[in-house]
Amino acid sequence: MSLKKKVNLFSFRSILEENVIISYKGPFDRHILFVIGDYIKTTIGKNSKASKKIFNIFIELAQNISYYSAEINKLDEKKEIGVGTLVIGDHKNHYTFKTGNVVKKDDIIPIINKCELINSLDRDSLRKFKREQRALPPSENDGAHIGLIKVALTSANPLDFQIINIDDDFSYFSISVKINK
Amino acid sequence: MENLKIEGSHGAFFVPFVDFNSNSGRCELSGESYLENTSEFYDKLLEWLENYMENIRKPIYFNIKLTYFNTSSSRAILDILNLLKAYEDDGGQIRVNWYYEEDDLDMEEEIEDYIFDTDLDINKKAF
Repeated sequence: MSLKKKVNLFSFRSILEENVIISYKGPFDRHILFVIGDYIKTTIGKNSKASKKIFNIFIELAQNISYYSAEINKLDEKKEIGVGTLVIGDHKNHYTFKTGNVVKKDDIIPIINKCELINSLDRDSLRKFKREQRALPPSENDGAHIGLIKVALTSANPLDFQIINIDDDFSYFSISVKINK
Repeated sequence: MENLKIEGSHGAFFVPFVDFNSNSGRCELSGESYLENTSEFYDKLLEWLENYMENIRKPIYFNIKLTYFNTSSSRAILDILNLLKAYEDDGGQIRVNWYYEEDDLDMEEEIEDYIFDTDLDINKKAF
């Protein structure tokens, strides 16, 4: 057995920003998503307008992870479920919703292009873009893309994304969106 | 022709409530839509409507009262609205009402985008 550094959860706590409502790392399995989604609706629901937006964003980004993450949970042999991280933060004037997951190197360029394109469009152009993507037959469109457009429209703020190199084959894709209160 | 009724449910996925009545032509789609297999679910609705349009050929009063739908449901909803538009273009009589919560500006925008996409006269009804 290799000598690994002891896991120190205090350092995990300190790297997370203050006012974190939820942080989760693991398989984006439907049962877990149900619990988190329900928590968003019922507890953050005191501010109903924002909670609806957070819920919308949560479903789209969580689905992207469960379908497209390059890190797979194989606890259930019948089903491969994407693994990722999710953090919801509560700030004075806004909430932040962040997700991160491992992606294959080959998938990086299309993701960056899509996020940059989305950020370059004003609201009307973004709505038009959503309609164009939605009208495409299922074989020609990528569910992840229309999901990201919807996330940008719902948050009404730019997609703040980052790619971090892991090794020759994989990178880490992290995305953060702001939801005004 | 039989009616189509699906009790909505709220679990790991959200199944919308469906009540399509072949006698009155009243069709209701409400609740929340986030499904495990979206096309399988909406195909049933499309099939019912196609059957009604072919065999009953009476007016359709379509009422939508969805408070949430994910992007894959939004495609299926577009298919339904396009079908209703085709019926209208073919001489069928339709009326579409879409109810949304007054302060839900995102939903209001979605409805406007559907009107733009389908050219259908959708009555936006805030509640």
